[in-house]
Amino acid sequence: MSEPDLATETPPRKGPLGLERPFLQRRAEFEEALARNASARGAEAGASLPRASLWGDAFHRFMKNKASVVAAIAFLLLLAFVIFVPWLSNEDPYALDFSQAYQPPSWAHPFGTDGFGRDLLVRTALGGRVSFAIGFAATFAIMVVGIVYGATAGFLGGHVDNALMRFLDALYGLPYLPFAIMTLAVFGTVNFWTMVVALTIASWFTTARVMRGQIFTLKQNDYVRAAYAVGAKGPRVLYRHLLVNTLGVIIVFVFLELPGVILGEAFLSFLGLGINPPKASWGTLAQDGYTAYQAHPYIIVIPSICIAWLILSAFFIADGLRDALDPRTKET
Amino acid sequence: MSTTEPQTTAGESSQKGEPLLVVKNLKKYFPIKKGILFDRTVDYVKAVDDVSFEIYPGKTLGLVGESGSGKSTTGYCVLELLKPTAGSVRFLGEELTTMKKEELRRMRREMQIVFQDPYASLNPRMTVGNIVAEPLVVHKVGSGARRRKTVEELLEVVGFNPDFVNRYPHEFSGGQRQRIGIARALALNPRLIVCDEPVSALDVSIQAQILNLLKDLQGEFGLTYLFVAHDLAVVRTMSDDIAVMNKGKIVEAGPAERVYTQPQDDYTKALLAAVPVPDPHRMRERKEERRKHKHALAEAL
Amino acid sequence: MALLEVEDLRTHFKTREGEVHAVDGVSFEVEEGSVLGIVGESGCGKSVTSLSIMGLVQPPGRVVSGSIRFEDRELTTMSDKDLEDVRGKQIAMIFQDPMTSLNPTLTIGTQITETIRRHLGLSKADAEKRAVSLLEEVHIPDAKRRLRDYPHRFSGGMRQRVMIAMALSCSPKLLIADEPTTALDVTVQAGVLETLDELRRDHGMTMIIISHNMGVIAETAEQVLVMYAGQIVEQASVTDLFDRPEHPYTEALLGSLPKIDDHDPRNDRLATIPGRPPDLLTPPDGCRFAARCKYAGMDSCAAEPPQLREIRTGHWVRSQHPASERSAEPVGAR
Repeated sequence: MSEPDLATETPPRKGPLGLERPFLQRRAEFEEALARNASARGAEAGASLPRASLWGDAFHRFMKNKASVVAAIAFLLLLAFVIFVPWLSNEDPYALDFSQAYQPPSWAHPFGTDGFGRDLLVRTALGGRVSFAIGFAATFAIMVVGIVYGATAGFLGGHVDNALMRFLDALYGLPYLPFAIMTLAVFGTVNFWTMVVALTIASWFTTARVMRGQIFTLKQNDYVRAAYAVGAKGPRVLYRHLLVNTLGVIIVFVFLELPGVILGEAFLSFLGLGINPPKASWGTLAQDGYTAYQAHPYIIVIPSICIAWLILSAFFIADGLRDALDPRTKET
Repeated sequence: MSTTEPQTTAGESSQKGEPLLVVKNLKKYFPIKKGILFDRTVDYVKAVDDVSFEIYPGKTLGLVGESGSGKSTTGYCVLELLKPTAGSVRFLGEELTTMKKEELRRMRREMQIVFQDPYASLNPRMTVGNIVAEPLVVHKVGSGARRRKTVEELLEVVGFNPDFVNRYPHEFSGGQRQRIGIARALALNPRLIVCDEPVSALDVSIQAQILNLLKDLQGEFGLTYLFVAHDLAVVRTMSDDIAVMNKGKIVEAGPAERVYTQPQDDYTKALLAAVPVPDPHRMRERKEERRKHKHALAEAL
Repeated sequence: MALLEVEDLRTHFKTREGEVHAVDGVSFEVEEGSVLGIVGESGCGKSVTSLSIMGLVQPPGRVVSGSIRFEDRELTTMSDKDLEDVRGKQIAMIFQDPMTSLNPTLTIGTQITETIRRHLGLSKADAEKRAVSLLEEVHIPDAKRRLRDYPHRFSGGMRQRVMIAMALSCSPKLLIADEPTTALDVTVQAGVLETLDELRRDHGMTMIIISHNMGVIAETAEQVLVMYAGQIVEQASVTDLFDRPEHPYTEALLGSLPKIDDHDPRNDRLATIPGRPPDLLTPPDGCRFAARCKYAGMDSCAAEPPQLREIRTGHWVRSQHPASERSAEPVGAR
């Protein structure tokens, strides 16, 4: 044998019953079987007819859903807005120019100017960057905490699962916003990181619960049993067979949590707990506009529209994703 | 209800030395728990209740019964995929029930399983190639090119076109997926394969293909099968010996020919009578048979 | 005039890849009081046929063409309202999976009486009385009390009996049983089939039974249709079909069955049909079984679709190589 042999790498067990088969004989059996029957069997089985792919199928279903497609485009447009506008604009968002204060929307300033004469188009876009950044970061954090907690509970099952879930039940009672506020108070300052922590701290419960349910259900599948039967160890099964199959759910959840987080940040900012100036988020921009609401409504209206735009589009995308990834009964 | 001793199970089969698998007094009880905060065990579901049998190398033991009889659970317990509540499972002369985890993992190379549901037994997010290679990966057998070649050979042996290693299971029909599952079971060249209803979910004409495949593989690789099924005709065509299970117990066991032609136990007789036979001329006779054994077929609620 | 006359029924399903011809030109008649068995493997179109008769085909499927005449009334052109009256009252159907066919949130009593009251307009009390007698007819013990139970308190076989009771509640003329015992244990199956037979005779019902199990068909049906790839490939009385099958598919199917009373089957290989059924998106031009047929000649089998013809009295076959016309060895063993 010139090549390393399959059989040589699995030395036969030396049981007391002398049942081990000699290496060479096993290998020979294999090759004999191949030579003799493989082609006949292949013909018997008939051609394998590969059909559509999983993700491709989902993608098509998503595209067929008009609401989702519109939402996806809206979302991407908003993202493009916040990324490109500050880049392309010549306006200095931090320059104070009181002569230009409170200008309503015009060609020079499509979104108008604020009390300090700063161009609101660029400020809104920059604010959007902050909102998006906080949103994605917090969502990511929520996902990580929720997945780890939920997957651990679901995978280990039994008493650990019981304990973790009962504890989670207790946590559910925590009111989300007061906790966020308390967290910010504890930190003493509101910057990007503290805001992310505050938003995460009381929002990961649902994700954890759903992940636990998913893992629990997926565990019942035969292919998980098969993995154990083959000799796979826990971590491999958890990663390769369970988590991988929750990807669909995770993606949907990302788009479900995102709006909540953004809204939470906006709310906190509106209460005055927003990110410190001169950095702005949509929430703080809205808060700025609050005082001048009567005379200059556009200052509060515009960031509010942006927030609403983001939330709506994210929800519809999540909806569409959920439908698209739903394993429907196949047409046989 | 006669329960034959394990020794006579393989009575007429030629005995080449020692049995490959000896199961003695196997029990699997599932606790029924009740309670609000803390679960108390109030009763047990006796899925497997004192089951014993032996299988000799190269033979097939058919484990037949209806749903709830405990046959699949028995199969899982033998492979230690479920931990038996009590009893002994000696495979290749070694006691599996008391084995340490690592030792058991290495033993798994010699005992594999083919599942019933071709749609649930393959991870939908793994390619066919990866699925079949998993046993090799987990036990660190071979590497890279050598593994790939082995996977292709395995697929060929089961009649699956190896060109499609990079495809996903859902792209194929039930019969083909079952072949993938069989290839996976063969990957480490095991001695024992537990077949858990391997053809129940397949079309009739595909069933025949897979059964033939399993028979051929048994001859080619000297495999021993524990064949679990509810279809009496299918079990007949595959088995040397039969054990009939009802409510967790073996009610009758013996060489297949004998059990099918001269059943001793009432339940076995009723079971055999209930099977619809594709011969319209025997309809009346079959219905008579069934009426005779009606008392043994109390429908439990 | 037969109770049910189906002529050239075609039911197609729109999919992303094209149109699937699930039922492609099926015609048959069911005489009053008889039992018709439709046998075939998955994908052959037997279930879709029965759903088409009941008008239960949902989009993306639809009955493309053909006629379904029940008691001389055309069902395909009926309004939804009229069809609802026929469904349940004149034609009833029982399905394969008793677990999902019953509403888990309603008691059995509610579900049965609902049907009765809808179609027969009886008062609640009368409907309940009728429900109890129906449950007794299907041999459910302690019927009166069981009316208050929810489906989950019944075993699989019992649930199927409840389904049968529901189907019979309005004394339908035609009962379609789609794989009624496939999900049940074999001992339970025998009981349910016996009950079905008993009821059929007592009520003088006509029955269509659909199954992939040749044994069930052999013991239940009087006339049999064999379906393959959306078409009827053979039709005969049950004895004639099993004694002298004509179509190569039927022969192969019967040959591939593991027998319970074979002598020493251990060393025999089962006869198999190589390959798989054709793709119904683009059905083959010629005979649909040609690719897997032992007798298919390279000549016309793959090019020309064979028509259903009467080879003996009452025995129809769609093949150019039926058993009784074969002289020589198989042309090419595939």
